[in-house]
Amino acid sequence: MTALDTETAFAAELTSPPRPGRTGKRRRPRWGMWIALVILALFAFLPLYWLAVTSVTPNDQAFSYPPRLFPTEITFDHYLKIFRTPAIFRYLENSVIVSVITTLLSVAVSMYMGYAFSKFRFRGRKSLMYFVLSSQMFPQALLLVTLYVVFAQFNLLNTYLALILSFTTFTLPLCVWMLKGFFDALPDDLIEAAKIDGAGPWRTFHSVILPLAAPGLVASGLFAFVRGWNDFMFALTLAGPEKQTLPPGLVNMFITESSTAWPALMAASLVVSVPVSVAFIALQRFLVGGVTAGAVKG
Amino acid sequence: MTTTDVRPGVHPPQPTADSSGDRGNRGSRLSDKSFIFFLLLPGLVLLLAIVLYPLVRSLVSAFFKESLIYPGMTFVGFDNILDALGDDFAPLLGQTLIFTIGSTVLSFVLGMALALVLNQSFRGRGVLRGAFLIPWLVPGVVVSFLWMWIFDGNYGVLNGVLQQLHLIDHPIAWLFNTDAARGALIIAKSWNSFPWMMVMLLAGLQTVPVELHEAAAMDGAGSIRRFFTVTWPHVRGIAGLVVLLEFIWNFQHFDTIFVLTGGGPAGTTQTFATEVYDTAFKGYDLGHAGALGLLWMVLLMILVVVYVTFSERGEKSATAEKSERAVKKEKTR
Repeated sequence: MTALDTETAFAAELTSPPRPGRTGKRRRPRWGMWIALVILALFAFLPLYWLAVTSVTPNDQAFSYPPRLFPTEITFDHYLKIFRTPAIFRYLENSVIVSVITTLLSVAVSMYMGYAFSKFRFRGRKSLMYFVLSSQMFPQALLLVTLYVVFAQFNLLNTYLALILSFTTFTLPLCVWMLKGFFDALPDDLIEAAKIDGAGPWRTFHSVILPLAAPGLVASGLFAFVRGWNDFMFALTLAGPEKQTLPPGLVNMFITESSTAWPALMAASLVVSVPVSVAFIALQRFLVGGVTAGAVKG
Repeated sequence: MTTTDVRPGVHPPQPTADSSGDRGNRGSRLSDKSFIFFLLLPGLVLLLAIVLYPLVRSLVSAFFKESLIYPGMTFVGFDNILDALGDDFAPLLGQTLIFTIGSTVLSFVLGMALALVLNQSFRGRGVLRGAFLIPWLVPGVVVSFLWMWIFDGNYGVLNGVLQQLHLIDHPIAWLFNTDAARGALIIAKSWNSFPWMMVMLLAGLQTVPVELHEAAAMDGAGSIRRFFTVTWPHVRGIAGLVVLLEFIWNFQHFDTIFVLTGGGPAGTTQTFATEVYDTAFKGYDLGHAGALGLLWMVLLMILVVVYVTFSERGEKSATAEKSERAVKKEKTR
């Protein structure tokens, strides 16, 4: 199945130890490669540079034309200003609550599902797996419209629960088969052994299998966190002004008909982007360690 | 569909996804039906409630006159669908395809180029592989803010740079010009997604045996020739897959368009996703939104069927080629 393989390949790429590159002897300078690398790096990093620079540029310099690529003055006022805005703290709090609960719930639900798909054969298993995988292909804007109506009927609009339930469900396809992959790598003998020792199925899973799949739990949790943290469309529509997370919060706060406070918005953008990037890079290292340790032992 | 065989070197933790349990030990282990049932229950409840039910219900509402703010629905048959297929449909489909194809192609080209570069060995490669992921980790709204600021008509850095290079004489309001706004969306979206393409394609590239490259180089094949004869057959499977997935995701992409252009100027960058959203939440017309969604699903299914047909054909010829090459190799020894 299409998406299944990609996601596992991707997970593997993130979690695999750095592999030795091509060890070809360099016969001639590779000009083409360096030129391509410079162009791609400019495309990838110049916008990020501009994001960071604008966030420390004083307003009078940011709103002047032509723009200065290197501001003559640096200020952290924009950061101080956004950290003194109560609304931003409310959005931040909402973002943290929604993302953390989504992460926990998503890992909990998908570990059971992944385990069932990995270690058991039952009727309808294949079809169920295809259903889980294909569910991420359905147009989300379309689902959102009806979810709005359904959540309204259950009085769940403007609650955390609406966001958490939606995000958890949309992370399931990815998380389920990432975890299925991790469980597949564990030998069936483990289950047998636990059974012989007298452990029931739940006990076997919780105290024998789960600890061994810890890297997988972290990896899938990370993806769930990113989904909750970065989402815009659902948070914009289902959460209402009080429960809004940072992405729609920032849009409503800064993007107005008149003029946009670009330096402050860039500062806020940087603040929003940092947690995910840091978490990703930090945990990526941890994951590499976990997987290689398992591989060596096995 | 079976791309697993394309990259055996990637060693995901589950190379034997489906063979692991099929080794005839069924029944010996926990074949406890109720245990399996409870394992699956929470996930299935969520998927039924949050995906399947809303999907079916929104497709059903395509056949009803239904409003977001007033209760009640009246059966109208195919009226909504015929309505949705009216004069506005062709431009909407065209705009969606421009955005989708443009973003998919650009991010694929950039991702492939970057993957090829980062597959070479040079000092600092590991750091770069990590650093290039950042544009992909940035939240969608931040991507929009950033490019909105870059393309800004009054103080935008793009105007400033182009003017200093004497490529333009006066600042341009990029986002208020249809073609420029479409280009801006494609660039912003590609900037966000090409790192993901790179990761996937790099995984594919690492399955290409080094010996093949060396042999081809010794035979005097240039790097471009080697790319098409040695590299491409190995990454073709994963390339097709990432292009399909990216296409589907871009087809339903919402954030960048909604924030960066808001579908403007004058609705010329509206796509299915933003149109469905606006129809439901600004026009309160659930029936019409459902009809658009129904057409969208039909298009998506056609696409997937076409992909599956082509990829199966491609796979057959690819395996044939591979075995042919193997035979030749044997003979030359």
